[in-house]
Amino acid sequence: MSELPKRILSLLMVGGAQSPEKAVTIEELGTKLSAPPEAVSTELNELIVGGYVQLIMGEGQARAYLTGTGIITASSTYS
Amino acid sequence: MLSWEYPPRIIGGLARHVEGLSKSLAAIGNEVHVVTLDFPGTQLEERTGSLFIHRVKVEVPAPTFHSWVLLFNHFFEKRVGQLANEFGAPDILHIHDWLTVSAGVASKHLLRVPLVMTFHSTESSRSSSSSSPESAMVQGLEWWGSYEAASVIAVSGWMGSEVVAQFKLPPGKVQEIPNGVDVEKFSKPVNVEATRSKWKVLPGERLITAVGRLTSQKGFDDLIRAYPEIRQSIPSSRLLVMGDGYMRSELESLAETERVRGTTTFAGFVSDADLIDAIKSSDVVAVPSRFEPFGIIALEAMAGGAPVVVSRVGGLAEIVEDGVDGLEVDPNSPSSLAKAAVRLLSDQELASRLTARAKEKVKAYNWQASALKTLDVYQSAIKVTRFE
Repeated sequence: MSELPKRILSLLMVGGAQSPEKAVTIEELGTKLSAPPEAVSTELNELIVGGYVQLIMGEGQARAYLTGTGIITASSTYS
Repeated sequence: MLSWEYPPRIIGGLARHVEGLSKSLAAIGNEVHVVTLDFPGTQLEERTGSLFIHRVKVEVPAPTFHSWVLLFNHFFEKRVGQLANEFGAPDILHIHDWLTVSAGVASKHLLRVPLVMTFHSTESSRSSSSSSPESAMVQGLEWWGSYEAASVIAVSGWMGSEVVAQFKLPPGKVQEIPNGVDVEKFSKPVNVEATRSKWKVLPGERLITAVGRLTSQKGFDDLIRAYPEIRQSIPSSRLLVMGDGYMRSELESLAETERVRGTTTFAGFVSDADLIDAIKSSDVVAVPSRFEPFGIIALEAMAGGAPVVVSRVGGLAEIVEDGVDGLEVDPNSPSSLAKAAVRLLSDQELASRLTARAKEKVKAYNWQASALKTLDVYQSAIKVTRFE
């Protein structure tokens, strides 16, 4: 996994986006990561395919949050 | 007991340790409260007999992993305080690794209760960037926890020596208490054919299994590099990698490069039941770690009757006796790993002899024994702790 998807997983975890109610928009992620939304969107799609992240639609925008697999993967360097 | 992971939040061996220990402590008549982080699909509060699991939600976002750890420690402190009000102060506080040091130390002084700390790993041996500011903070927390604790537990002799040397602890302060394994779980019959079919193992193929977080520490890249050499001797074989992590796509690409992607299955995270079935259906379980303070998967493989090949590092080298109950290989050596795996796959008499001895040995690694030793440590911590 390259740096950006790792940072996305980590940010979702420490930012508390671990449930649909706490999901964040791609724009919010891009701002916090100082990364273009297009790049974040591309990586998010890969993370969704890998089962690390789920998207929901809320207030007309796609919002992302971590799955259980995503939480464990985001934590996996530290155990 | 404070732990950042508890099943089903299983990041590594620490979760299995806290589960096995807390259940055994409760089973022998102790009231045990585990404060841990929440996880999707779990109840925040669980009780089984005298074992209470309290899962904490971290309600405030943090900017980085390390600040998040300090933040969730505040939520742990709050929960410990609430529990002390509800149930009375505990007789002992037990923390695991740096991740719960700050909550443990604060709670020790607020409640005036002795503190015990278990080291499952240390930052300096785990991290390749141990000079970074974050790493320095982790090492500082490790030292602080070991200093504030009345007694320190290490999960292997190797880990104990590391802790004594690194934090300049009196050797008498550190007790070695190994992880255990629930042998009962591995004694149930398994449908080998169905299990192999589930993981795409064809009839007649030999199955090599590896389990763990897909991180550099675990050495799965060495196993994939070894696999072509294994296939030269054992062409009809499949490699099953169970677990997930940051290295997954890198390992999948490496399998492509080594031309073994078609005979390698990446299973991702699996349930305990799937893990046990796979181990019991394997011809070899490989543990190619570069660093391993304990290596609970080696015990599980031994309990499941699978021949093991492990790196000669840390706790693994203490669990496995080379040529007696498993094979040891040099770490970072795909060729050494391949030769050992081929030996086990091509010499049935050797494999049977090693697994028979391993099954006997593993009986000594049980959670009840670990719990009794831990109770002794608690008693001595209570005796030596004095508050001004």
